[in-house]
Amino acid sequence: MTSLDVSHLTVNFGDRTVIDDLSFNLKEGEIASLLGPSGCGKTTLLRAIAGLLQPREGTIRFGSQLVGVSTVVLPPHKRRTGYVPQQGALFPHLNVAKNIAFGLDKKELSTQEINATVSEMLSLIGMSGYENQMPTELSGGQQTRVALARALAVKPRMVLLDEPFSALDAELRNELRSEVVALLRKQGTTAILVTHDREEALVSSDKVVLMRDGKIAQYGTPEEVYESPVSPSVAVSTGDALILEAEQSDNGSTRYAISSLESESKSAIASNGYVVIRPEEISVSKNSSLGVAGTLIQLDYYGHDAMLVIKLENGSEIIRARVAGPMDFEVGDIVKVEHRGPIRFFSNQ
Amino acid sequence: MATSTKERLTNRLFTSRGEPGSIHPALYALVGMLLAVVLIPFVYLVIRAFEKPVPEIIDLLLRSKTLEVLLTTSVLLAVVVAVNIVLGTLISAGLHFVQLPKTHLLIVAAVLPLAIPSYVFTYTWLALFPSLSGTLAAAFVLVLTTLPYMLLAILVSLRRIDNGFIEVARTLGLSRVQIFFRVILPQIRGSISAGALLAGLYVLSDFGAVSLLNVETLTVSIQNMFKSSYDRSAASVISLLLILASILFIAADEKIKDKNAKENVFKRLATSDSRIQSFRLKSIVLISVGVYALLAVVVPFYVLISRFISNPNPIDISGLFTASISTISVSALGALIALLFSAPLGFLIAAHAGRFSKVSERIILIGHALPGVVVGLALVSLGSKLGPIYQSVFLLAFAYALLFLAKAVASMTFSLQLVPQVLKEVAATLGKSKTKVSTSVVFPIALPSIGLGTLLVFLTAMKELPATLMLRPTGMDTLATQIWSYASINRFNDAAPYALLLVLIAAVPTFLLSLPSREVSTETNKNDSQVGSLT
Repeated sequence: MTSLDVSHLTVNFGDRTVIDDLSFNLKEGEIASLLGPSGCGKTTLLRAIAGLLQPREGTIRFGSQLVGVSTVVLPPHKRRTGYVPQQGALFPHLNVAKNIAFGLDKKELSTQEINATVSEMLSLIGMSGYENQMPTELSGGQQTRVALARALAVKPRMVLLDEPFSALDAELRNELRSEVVALLRKQGTTAILVTHDREEALVSSDKVVLMRDGKIAQYGTPEEVYESPVSPSVAVSTGDALILEAEQSDNGSTRYAISSLESESKSAIASNGYVVIRPEEISVSKNSSLGVAGTLIQLDYYGHDAMLVIKLENGSEIIRARVAGPMDFEVGDIVKVEHRGPIRFFSNQ
Repeated sequence: MATSTKERLTNRLFTSRGEPGSIHPALYALVGMLLAVVLIPFVYLVIRAFEKPVPEIIDLLLRSKTLEVLLTTSVLLAVVVAVNIVLGTLISAGLHFVQLPKTHLLIVAAVLPLAIPSYVFTYTWLALFPSLSGTLAAAFVLVLTTLPYMLLAILVSLRRIDNGFIEVARTLGLSRVQIFFRVILPQIRGSISAGALLAGLYVLSDFGAVSLLNVETLTVSIQNMFKSSYDRSAASVISLLLILASILFIAADEKIKDKNAKENVFKRLATSDSRIQSFRLKSIVLISVGVYALLAVVVPFYVLISRFISNPNPIDISGLFTASISTISVSALGALIALLFSAPLGFLIAAHAGRFSKVSERIILIGHALPGVVVGLALVSLGSKLGPIYQSVFLLAFAYALLFLAKAVASMTFSLQLVPQVLKEVAATLGKSKTKVSTSVVFPIALPSIGLGTLLVFLTAMKELPATLMLRPTGMDTLATQIWSYASINRFNDAAPYALLLVLIAAVPTFLLSLPSREVSTETNKNDSQVGSLT
């Protein structure tokens, strides 16, 4: 296991800059998610860390060892990263045991040692007894597990997962994800998970690297990137967010469609901008005296919670609020809406 | 800076297609050398042809004899290709879309004639109807010979058409006929063209059938010039004309193929419950396949077997044995050389999408356009300058390698592309050097397919006639030359055992090819591109 330091990394494909002067670091044993829309460079970053492509500028260090700079690169087979690509990419001509043993050095280890590692890995992923199965005989989830075991078997300095769960259906996906994360934590592995699923990124990792156009838009703990987004667009990429026009006055108070009365102020307006509100920070009630009145125009029921879409009476603003189930709202209800959370103001300037 | 240049290059080779990567200089050099070797016969023919003064070349090209031969060749080519396109499309569509009993067996029956070379077809039909001759007879025999190329090529692409397209078209109110023309045909156009190319090149390069039926095409002309007057320059001029015709044909196919190149990502498969149940269509398909199998399988085998049995002379066992041994050894050597040549070429084309690999592909295609007669002529003429190699087994094997290199390279490229880039990357991150990745991942996965490709080159070489006739060492007989020498003097009984042996050996892999391809871990069909290796 090792720490990772990526510094001023730039990767080009021909004339196109895919990674643009990007820096971040990870402590030993931390799990990071690379989150971003497709084409933002997250897979490229992962492949650069694995040594599968050559950066144009910048450095990559594993601990104190320099593994990648623009002119000299430690080739992938000398980096000892455990790379788990999409859908696992098991070797189709090898059975499960041989897949897991693939990276183990037959010169350094005896057959018994190799077999012991294989059984240890199989029991770790809960697949003892599958030694002789061929990859085609396994389900998608099993293939992903074996791919992870194959990566862990070589005791990698870092595990790199490139959307390993993307081909699985939702239920299996969540289950396998928490299994894999628990496993990585148990092993104390430094790991990087590429994903475009915002919940996956938040729930799995210690650090979230939010990427946009080859750059880091925000880097921090899941709580930091979710609670304190650096911009409205970053807020949207980590979860549902309501973006309302707002005015901030000299004394720091902010006025927006559902701001509470206390924050109303007669001071001069200093700047225009937006506030970002998470739907779960909005409380909705039918018979409260507080809050702004509106009409419930749409109700998306998810079972464990529901998303309410409310049209405010004092304007054209549409508010989306998340309420926990069970609840007794109906479309057409007149309700009161109140914001109970931090005010995240982003000035237009 | 501990890392060496070598490691850097090694690492670059791991970068995938489209991303910045570079070719090892050694590979450049090797491929360049091979391409030069491939071009030897072509360059030789050009030099030889232009030994004649240009006015004489023009005279030669414009004299009525040349024009007549050119016309005969064109008519034959047009008739065979046109009939092939119509029959091939209809029969393969029938086999694919109509609910039939034992479809697999029907496909085997329709593809089995692939094992029978044109001169054996001709000879079996001549044995039945000794008066058979002329362009029409040649067209008949050549359609029998080449139809399986069409069927295999089209069936492969029909299998790739997503049934969803058809269902959507039906829900949009299209009739079956409309669906065929508006949904199916546009998607199989590329493979119809590919099948037509294989059939057309077969016709252009065929020597055995036309010669036995007294039709003078370009190949027969070249052979006659070569044999009678020894005017090598004139023969070279006509050879270039033949090569030009082949290149035009290939270019036409490239043009059609390019348009279709982007629509390659089809899913699977018409399920059996969606097949057409109509009794009338069923009968039509069954009868057409039946008639074809009767003409192209039953009749030849009947003639071969009855001639074999009724032969009053004792079979020359030792002759048969020596001919088989020579055939097998020289063909195996040819296949081996083709395999060795195809490895760097295939690697280059499979891994790098640069201009150099594009140019290499084109040059190899020229090899595809060289008929056996032409390669034979070039190497015979060159051979006398080569000293000890002349009239040796090596020169003949080398000729086979040149003739079938395009097929070997196609098979090699396809086989190497069976190995997804991501597997190589995973292997690299698991600590395997580039060499190790090749030995532990690439070759184990690609080997069966490379083996099948090599086997096909081997079998094609076994059946090759004109180059063998021209280049075989004095005193060496192969199965093909024995069949030829007996058949051309109407000693059909004596030819029968050789022909039977050749056809039976060739039938085994043909049978394997006609089986519906097994899904490998990758989504590609193993047999698909092997069809291209068949001529």
